[in-house]
Amino acid sequence: MKRNQFWNWFWIVLSLIYFFLPLYATFNFSLKARKGELSLLAYQQMIDDPRVLPALLFSTQIGIFTILLGLLLLVPTVYWVRLKAPRWRPILEFFSLLPFVIPAIVLVFGLIRTYSGGVFGLTATFAGTNFLLVAGYVVICLPYLYRSIDAGMAAIDVVTLTEAAQSLGADWGTILFRVIVPNLRSAMLSAAFLTMAIVLGEFTIASFLVGLRAFGPVIWQVGQNRAYQASALVIVSFAITWVLMGLINIVGRRGAAEEGVTAGPR
Amino acid sequence: MSFLILENLSKVFHNVTAVEDFNLSVERGEFISFLGPSGCGKTTTLRMIAGFETPTAGRIILNDKDITHVPPNRRNVGMVFQSYALFPNMTVAQNIAFGLRIRKEPEDKIKGRVAEMLALVHLEDKGNNFPHQLSGGQQQRVALARALAIRPQVLLLDEPLSALDAKIRVALRAEIRSIQRELGITAIYVTHDQEEALSISDRIVVMLQGKIEQIGTPFEIYNFPATNFVASFVGTLNTAEAEVLDPEQGILLMDGVRFISADEDVRTKRRGDKVRMSIRPERLSFAAELHKDNVLDCVIENITFLGSVVRIQVRIGNTKFNMDTFNNPFLALPRIGERSKVTCSKEAVLVLKD
Amino acid sequence: MSSNRLGVASDDGRPKPPLLAQPSFSWIGVLPFLLFVFFFLILPSLTLFVGAFQDRDGNFTLENIRGLALPNILSAYWVTIRISVTTALMGGIFGFFLAYSLVTGNMPAWVRSSMATFCGVASNFAGVPLAQAFIFTLGRVGLVTVLLRDLFGIDLYDRGFNLYSFWGLSVTYLYFQLPLMVLVITPAIEGLQREWREAAENLGATPGQYWRYIGIPVLMPSLLGSMILLFGNSFGAYATALSLTGGLINLVTILIGSQIRGDVLHNPNLGYALAVGMVVVMSVMMVIYYALRRRSEYWLKR
Repeated sequence: MKRNQFWNWFWIVLSLIYFFLPLYATFNFSLKARKGELSLLAYQQMIDDPRVLPALLFSTQIGIFTILLGLLLLVPTVYWVRLKAPRWRPILEFFSLLPFVIPAIVLVFGLIRTYSGGVFGLTATFAGTNFLLVAGYVVICLPYLYRSIDAGMAAIDVVTLTEAAQSLGADWGTILFRVIVPNLRSAMLSAAFLTMAIVLGEFTIASFLVGLRAFGPVIWQVGQNRAYQASALVIVSFAITWVLMGLINIVGRRGAAEEGVTAGPR
Repeated sequence: MSFLILENLSKVFHNVTAVEDFNLSVERGEFISFLGPSGCGKTTTLRMIAGFETPTAGRIILNDKDITHVPPNRRNVGMVFQSYALFPNMTVAQNIAFGLRIRKEPEDKIKGRVAEMLALVHLEDKGNNFPHQLSGGQQQRVALARALAIRPQVLLLDEPLSALDAKIRVALRAEIRSIQRELGITAIYVTHDQEEALSISDRIVVMLQGKIEQIGTPFEIYNFPATNFVASFVGTLNTAEAEVLDPEQGILLMDGVRFISADEDVRTKRRGDKVRMSIRPERLSFAAELHKDNVLDCVIENITFLGSVVRIQVRIGNTKFNMDTFNNPFLALPRIGERSKVTCSKEAVLVLKD
Repeated sequence: MSSNRLGVASDDGRPKPPLLAQPSFSWIGVLPFLLFVFFFLILPSLTLFVGAFQDRDGNFTLENIRGLALPNILSAYWVTIRISVTTALMGGIFGFFLAYSLVTGNMPAWVRSSMATFCGVASNFAGVPLAQAFIFTLGRVGLVTVLLRDLFGIDLYDRGFNLYSFWGLSVTYLYFQLPLMVLVITPAIEGLQREWREAAENLGATPGQYWRYIGIPVLMPSLLGSMILLFGNSFGAYATALSLTGGLINLVTILIGSQIRGDVLHNPNLGYALAVGMVVVMSVMMVIYYALRRRSEYWLKR
């Protein structure tokens, strides 16, 4: 009955080496910006670089708008479908999972060809481009947002909860904001953190729409000519991902992280 | 020599004793139940017979062979699990054939045996279905057929009915018992349901905290419980604190009311000893019906209709007793709050051992 | 008999839904979502799809689809598919063994939970930073390259390894493929009931026979399904490949990227066909994935 523990540990140790070696190598490199000694110079240079902080700020803002638009779009829709229109459920699910089959590069290709110039001319202004970027991010996060919110609503059984609130005399505003939304908090928070992680690291869509205004393309450009700063940026970006994933674990939706992985920046 | 002997069997998990000094001899063709609350060690004992757990001490002898250290796949005992454990990737027929295929029996023999087993559990037309297409009761019948197909020396059943609906549970337990009788196979059945154990077994082993409390026929277990635990776990029971008034005559005093008991154990007590007295609800009846040793004043507290039985709660002294009488449309039920008299024979008044 | 008749009567007495249903307004609540999906998912896809079947003047043609058979485009698809299959297999097999060790190996709870968190992080740590981390590790002056050369006298690059090539890209992709596999296959491994193994043993099977007849067949749909997910995951990857190879590797995503920046194919409509081809491959994969997942859900649900 007892299996050989050796092989279990073999796989675990091997993967740990594989996982940590690139991080260690990058971290090690980032400390060597000053010749002959270990220093945090690379991190100082990274902060001083005029491109880095504004881009991080911009991407964070885009992330916040993506989260707001995504939740605003999905929470009422999923709630409505569960409550009033269960027949629409397969359609909602189909369109929510559809972005899986459309790679980010194809999506941005289509967005640019559809909305730059012509009738829409969205890319002519900063605001239009930013909006297109947010919309693109909502699309690539759609499968994850949908599953997270749908699972959250299933877990609290919104239909029964709504009926219970109605029978106690609550109006729709009260039901939505004092019963449903508070109970969906952990689902919405984990959706928000994952969306933020995806947006901050995203390169493909950002590079074609807004270029160096976003964080992902800036990491790429710094990497082209400033190796030490780039290593510091890699460590920071890993730390950001780690913190956001840790927050998902804290708000406590088990298995939340795995649902969004295919939406991540590739 | 008995067919299956469990000798001083013990099992310790990480300093927790699950089974302690378990001794049992089972005759060929007997149906034995292990009965007890969850965590009492009944399943662990069964798993030691199947070979999934190795005893910390003791021996298991099956058909004159010591199988204590034989690996589970060479024991030839059939097992039926609570969760059915049907292989989901195989059809019903493939599931039943699995043990025979492993034994490399010829294909035509396997076919015949599978058909025979399907007929035995009345699922002739389900051979090509997959387990997930069947109901819970049907799945468990397939599991039973699969365990029996290999002609096991002993059939082990680990709470096989507890995942099923009440009605199916009752029907299937009768079916299990009749199949076991038909094949003459030795069976060990683990359950926490006392009614199930009473209805199905030749003998019952009542367990608590890894130890055997009592071994006996359903009749013995129900009517002569050896310990306080057996008495309260099996069936419903009225119990009350009483004081021994006269050990010789078997007279007890409860709340100032005198009871006469025929229990031998009263004679071993001394005057003034505190004892725990017990009476089964069906042993009490109204005074008008019979003349008995104990005739007691009471007040009717509550009446509950249970179908074939009506349970009447009466207060004797300050203690409430349940009394069961058979339902009958012409029965004149008393009213709540009425005064009445109940009787019982002195044999019905037992004193519990701790 | 009488109670039976009563039952039928009460069945008939139940009010039936009106034959002419009330006009339903249930679509109103779904409208904002549908509009969003139409404008930002369907319309862009349609633009590419329609463009793929048009010539420069907007007339219908199959020329662009035939153009996918051009040598450099065919080879881009071939390299992309090869790298996706390779990393799906590597990540799939390695990830399965890792997940299996974590689930069944009696590991301390903290090992399991910290590995799960780490897999969540690693599977989301991709793109540009990942590529750069691998350059610092296995590039020409990367830590491991230098250590192997200085300590053991093994020069990876002399021996034919190149981070900026097919195998280098595969090793890098593995960094997000492996943890993804662990995350998606773990529930399936947890769904393998202990009782199945015990029932098999009880019926006389050896552990090897259990794996051959039950364990592997039951896990197979989940294994294949997970690997298809991994395939799609690297099939659409762009950022990692671009920043690792600087666009020098001939992948479909890289080709589309160049086409967006400037018409490198000298035919905008051929670019559309290229993108539509990707969606077709991904759709076929996802249809297979959902078919497999349906099967494993039947098998593994408790």
